[in-house]
Amino acid sequence: MNPDLSQDLSLFHLILNASLPVQLVMLLLLGASLMSWWFIFIKLFSLKRALRETDRFEREFWGGGDINAMYKEVAAGRGEAGEMARIFEAGFREFVKLRQQPGLSLNVIVDGTRRAMRATYQRELDSLESHLSFLATVGSVSPYVGLFGTVWGIMIAFMGLSSVAQATLAQVAPGIAEALIATAMGLFAAIPAVVGYNRYTHDIDRLANRMESFMEEFSNILQRQATKAS
Amino acid sequence: MNISADVPFVSRPGSNLIAGALALGVHVVFVLLLVFGVSWQTQHPAPVMVDLWEALPPPPVAKPARPPASAPVKTPEPVKVKPAPRPAVDEPPPPKTPDIALEKKKAESERQKKLQAMQAVEEKARADAARKAQETQLAERKKRELLRQMEEEDLTRRMADEVAASEARQAKLAEAQAKLAEAATASKRQTEVAGVVGQYRDLISAKVRGNTRLPDNLAGNPQVRCLVKLLPTGEVQSVRVTQSSGNAAYDEAVVRGIWKSSPLPLPGERDARAAFVPELSFVHRPKE
Repeated sequence: MNPDLSQDLSLFHLILNASLPVQLVMLLLLGASLMSWWFIFIKLFSLKRALRETDRFEREFWGGGDINAMYKEVAAGRGEAGEMARIFEAGFREFVKLRQQPGLSLNVIVDGTRRAMRATYQRELDSLESHLSFLATVGSVSPYVGLFGTVWGIMIAFMGLSSVAQATLAQVAPGIAEALIATAMGLFAAIPAVVGYNRYTHDIDRLANRMESFMEEFSNILQRQATKAS
Repeated sequence: MNISADVPFVSRPGSNLIAGALALGVHVVFVLLLVFGVSWQTQHPAPVMVDLWEALPPPPVAKPARPPASAPVKTPEPVKVKPAPRPAVDEPPPPKTPDIALEKKKAESERQKKLQAMQAVEEKARADAARKAQETQLAERKKRELLRQMEEEDLTRRMADEVAASEARQAKLAEAQAKLAEAATASKRQTEVAGVVGQYRDLISAKVRGNTRLPDNLAGNPQVRCLVKLLPTGEVQSVRVTQSSGNAAYDEAVVRGIWKSSPLPLPGERDARAAFVPELSFVHRPKE
């Protein structure tokens, strides 16, 4: 009736008039898109924070401060510590504990320290990589899901066409338009998910490299200290 | 260990909420873009729709006819008011002509008077002449007054005439308006019914056209005329070809198409339905 209203609703009209499977596909894709954007933003924030904390910790560590004081500081403010600081804390705690036990060789102490650091490293890496698999799944699967919805919608549009003798474009056009919305939604969900996934795996790889090299360097430092002390 | 496993979760909830809000925001923006994009595309045919609606109902056509009709009704009113200023405008001209007349008369009478006076002077004294002059002046005055009265009477008569004329005009206009309105409503009704009938004729032929599978060997644009008997619900009772196209296969196809499209769409109005219900003469052409 009101031309303005009907135009504004035309998109929703198409979605509401679509067949049930197509609507379900659209709903699924909307959910996937919402979740993937949510994870994209979560990862964005957490990775930024991890990078910032790592930079700060490296500056402090290589700035030549007292390792004991640093350990105390990190252990006190555990909530705010970054990934690398937690690795450092776990390694140093293990090192101190092992040093207190008598009759342990230097190799055993350093190996134990390294194992403790590796365990923390794995855990941190795992938490950094959480949700990334979801992004990968959405990125690779949602175009197919959208395509499925489109194929289904076009099938129904053509089935309706078969009952009519004189086929005109006007009889298929709305069905195809509403079916194509499913593909559009699938792509809308997939593209950011793929971009986010690639970007974040790259960032996490670089962070992991930095942590690994820190672990090696820190075990070297601890070994040097231990030999100096003994 | 437990603590370090808990740590990642300590810092999350706040940023999680922000992330959720941002994700929602992205989707809202996308939906808005889509809505505006789609409406941009569909806005072009819409004005055409609006134009059609404005053109269809006759009442707006009849209404514009009224204002011009009522406009003349309104103008006499200012005319009514105008007579008041008009006397002021009109009065000066009448005195002018009488003035000339008066002068002429004056001259004549003066001449006469002079002659009389001359005679009187000859006969009577000059004092009489003076009196007579006064008398003539009085006469002149009387004449002027009479003339003025005549003019005024004329004016009032004219005014009355005008008022009467305008009233008559108004009455005529009102009559004409009433006639127009009647004609408009009648013609509106007719055109409405005709429009509905035409609309449904098109609907029916579109439906039949959709259900007709034309034979392959059909050449040209032959016309088939069928007599279709319909129930009030629109269901087809019988179909008979009254005017064949010459192509039996095509006739057959049209008859089958009519049977296939039963029930036919029928208007809800009784007047409009009368054109279809007992039997409908249906003309079919392959191309239109």
